[in-house]
Amino acid sequence: MTRAVRLTVNGTPRELEIPTYRTLLDCLRYDLGLTGSKEGCGVGVCGACTVLLDGKIISSCIALAVFADGREVTTVEGLAEDERLHPVQQAFIDHGGFQCGICTPGQVVAAKALLDATPNPSDAEIREWMLGNLCRCTGYYKILESVRGAALGVRP
Amino acid sequence: MAAPHRAGADRPAADRPVVHRVVGQPIGRIDGRDKVSGQARYSADVALPGMIWGKALRSPLPHARILGIDTARARALPGVLAVLTARDLPDLLIGRRMFDMPVLARDRVRFIGEKVAVVAAVDLDVADEALALIDVEYEDLPAVFDQADAVKPGAPVVHENPGAYEGAPSERPHPNVQSVLRFKLGDVEAGFRSADRIFEHSFRTQLAHHGYIEPHAGVVAIDADGRVQVWASNKMPFRLKELLAHALQLPKEQIRVNLTPIGGDFGGKGSLMDLPLAYHLARATGRPVKMVMRYTEELMAGNPRHPSNITLRTGVTNDGRIVARHATALFNSGAYAAFKPAPSVNLGGAGMGAGVYRIPNLLIESFCVYTHSIPCGHARSPGEPQMVFAGESHMDMIAGELGLDPAEFRRRNLLADGDLLANGHHLEQVRAKETLEAALQSIDWGRPKPGPWIGRGVAMTHRHIGVGFTNAHVRLEPKGTVALRIGLPDTGTGAHLVLRQVVAEVLDLSVDEVEIELASTDDFDTDSGVGGSRVTHTGGRAAYRAAETLKERIAAEATRLGTPGASLATIAQAAARDGRTLEATYFYDAKAHAAVTSFTAQAAEVAVDPATGQIAIRRFTTAHDVGTVINPIGHQGQIEGGLVQGLGYALMEELQTEEGRISTLSLGDFKLPTARDIPPLTTVLLQDPVGPGPFGAKAIGEGSISAVAPAIANAVADACGVRITELPITAEKIYFALRDAAHTRSAPGSERRP
Repeated sequence: MTRAVRLTVNGTPRELEIPTYRTLLDCLRYDLGLTGSKEGCGVGVCGACTVLLDGKIISSCIALAVFADGREVTTVEGLAEDERLHPVQQAFIDHGGFQCGICTPGQVVAAKALLDATPNPSDAEIREWMLGNLCRCTGYYKILESVRGAALGVRP
Repeated sequence: MAAPHRAGADRPAADRPVVHRVVGQPIGRIDGRDKVSGQARYSADVALPGMIWGKALRSPLPHARILGIDTARARALPGVLAVLTARDLPDLLIGRRMFDMPVLARDRVRFIGEKVAVVAAVDLDVADEALALIDVEYEDLPAVFDQADAVKPGAPVVHENPGAYEGAPSERPHPNVQSVLRFKLGDVEAGFRSADRIFEHSFRTQLAHHGYIEPHAGVVAIDADGRVQVWASNKMPFRLKELLAHALQLPKEQIRVNLTPIGGDFGGKGSLMDLPLAYHLARATGRPVKMVMRYTEELMAGNPRHPSNITLRTGVTNDGRIVARHATALFNSGAYAAFKPAPSVNLGGAGMGAGVYRIPNLLIESFCVYTHSIPCGHARSPGEPQMVFAGESHMDMIAGELGLDPAEFRRRNLLADGDLLANGHHLEQVRAKETLEAALQSIDWGRPKPGPWIGRGVAMTHRHIGVGFTNAHVRLEPKGTVALRIGLPDTGTGAHLVLRQVVAEVLDLSVDEVEIELASTDDFDTDSGVGGSRVTHTGGRAAYRAAETLKERIAAEATRLGTPGASLATIAQAAARDGRTLEATYFYDAKAHAAVTSFTAQAAEVAVDPATGQIAIRRFTTAHDVGTVINPIGHQGQIEGGLVQGLGYALMEELQTEEGRISTLSLGDFKLPTARDIPPLTTVLLQDPVGPGPFGAKAIGEGSISAVAPAIANAVADACGVRITELPITAEKIYFALRDAAHTRSAPGSERRP
């Protein structure tokens, strides 16, 4: 069974006819060609598929695309404005907040959502917020530094 | 500041201060703009016109005869383009060194998760539906799962005649032994006879997945002219080409492996995995085929870290000197040896049964054993976290029995200049003691502890600087920049940035003026790929030497032009006008290990909650004996990442199995550390530019993982008197051990220190 879905992705209105069981992640990656969001665990644990739905973080691998009907989706591809990276993205580069980069789209989307809601988070708040995004390369120290650096607007 | 850099001096002279312009600068991941913006194309992101999906059906049984496979219903499903079983494939076996694994199970399955059929379909949903329509009839066979059971007389045999497999080692004391690896120094029996006391302890370590967040993914397309194009999450593209040529019975030249970013490796991304199947499906359908493992498939059929049973027997003198050791390791290799890349078909890390100590009479015996379980492979410093957990726990246990401070017991036995490693390599520039003392000082060793139920532990290891071979090609561009073409994929370590820094240093450029061009396997003859702590060394030296040659050619060109002060752009353009490109290629091939190694000492301060057994890591120190650090941010990132993997291995990660069935089949059940689990960390670097890498660099990727678990186990023993000899060190194990020992709690265990 398919259904017509209208959603706004990174500011662009999209209209799709998709199976009702299609996940938002598969819809983004395979129907819309936005492969920035990644599938890691596939069960909503690792956070590699993190996107914003009306500004709130969700795991798009366990959300149905029909659920996003009429709503606004922001993915990692939508963070930079023109050629200028979002401060969170720049901070991840400056502080070495990624290595292989597979979890990074989810990390930067999650960090942006944190800073949108809490511009100056404490270290404990950063850790608490970011624990939904697994990273196997960095051991998190430089991710936390990156988020802190983005919040403070300081570059190393 | 100008670098006091001399042509040919890619190792610093001792009499000369070393100041670099680009090397050593904390440059962030400027190579990663596409990664933070979602533009990087990993293998799973590759999309080709007409591409379809492949999906494998896996065995639900650990050992069974396949009586029949009925694919008729699956074939009839709309959207299914092919269904293949072993009957449709050439009858051959695949592997990395020992070729013992079928591409699809032919007449029997040997582990839960083994592939028995594969479908190609227009999308994943159809592929999944098709798998459910394949009927396989099995006849159950007796199975063996535990490595100790597998080598008992009369145990079910996993392979009828393993000695007949290509690449199989000849020694086989039991049909279920894949390989035996021995390290010998001196005369171990004579050593034990000279000992005043002999201690024996046994340890177990768990099955653990690498935990990379990117599951294996690959795309195979067959061009109109028959060329096989491959995109794969594989860190050894040139070896992959050779192995695929073997598996697909094609000439090597017909295969092109295209490099992609790799979403984490940690030793796990060096095999063929699903690529032969993707090829056969592409051939059967005439369409490009993508295969991406689900994480559940990774956890049931990846190539995880070997579980082990390790027994250490050590003879010491009354004054705390080790005179003999016999180490025996049984590694559960699972159903196939195919994932192990070393010629020994064993785990080189077994050599760490000697630890960082001078043991004049040594025998280490490592057995890799077949069972009806998931086949295991290499994982970050293969074999070492297992052996180092055992060895460094054993050291503290002996120290407790001898009434010696564990640090003092180590001091009396540490390797020194001129000593031999278990593999016979002699060592120079040994800084084991300095590394240990740095960690001890940082953790306030010997000073009063801040409260009850708090303990401190230390553990050590060392890791070689890897060897291998790499091609690097540098070319001066008309705009005055330099392109560095390299066939090493970046698995995430920042290796490409390191190589750019090396080239920039040699050619007096900024790092922005050096660009990476990813080679395909068409561009060079060979490359040993990523792994074994080799890339900074082999890639760095290749890039260094190529850049040095280019520098000479640029100087010669400037002389020829009569403009020695001309800019690089002017020189490049002048050469181009004459139809020439200024470029250089260097093939660096390091066969023998250098006489230096890199020591690690790690120390933990932990608190144990006596009511629950819960451990809190209050603080952690990691001290490393390193060479020249080329990129401090990347270097520290390797230390931190490896350390937190070590922490997960120590405390939480375990693929739990029951009768060969893995029950932790999601990342919700197989637990990796999160941002909330990491301890306050102090890093101490003892730098000395004596490594074999460019500018005296050593390796760092595998140095921080192995000693974490024993440092914590030793700290737990110090905190509460409980000695945990099986990983992971969970609250349950400590709780029950505390409860069992409750009657003796008033008398602290021998390992509790004031």
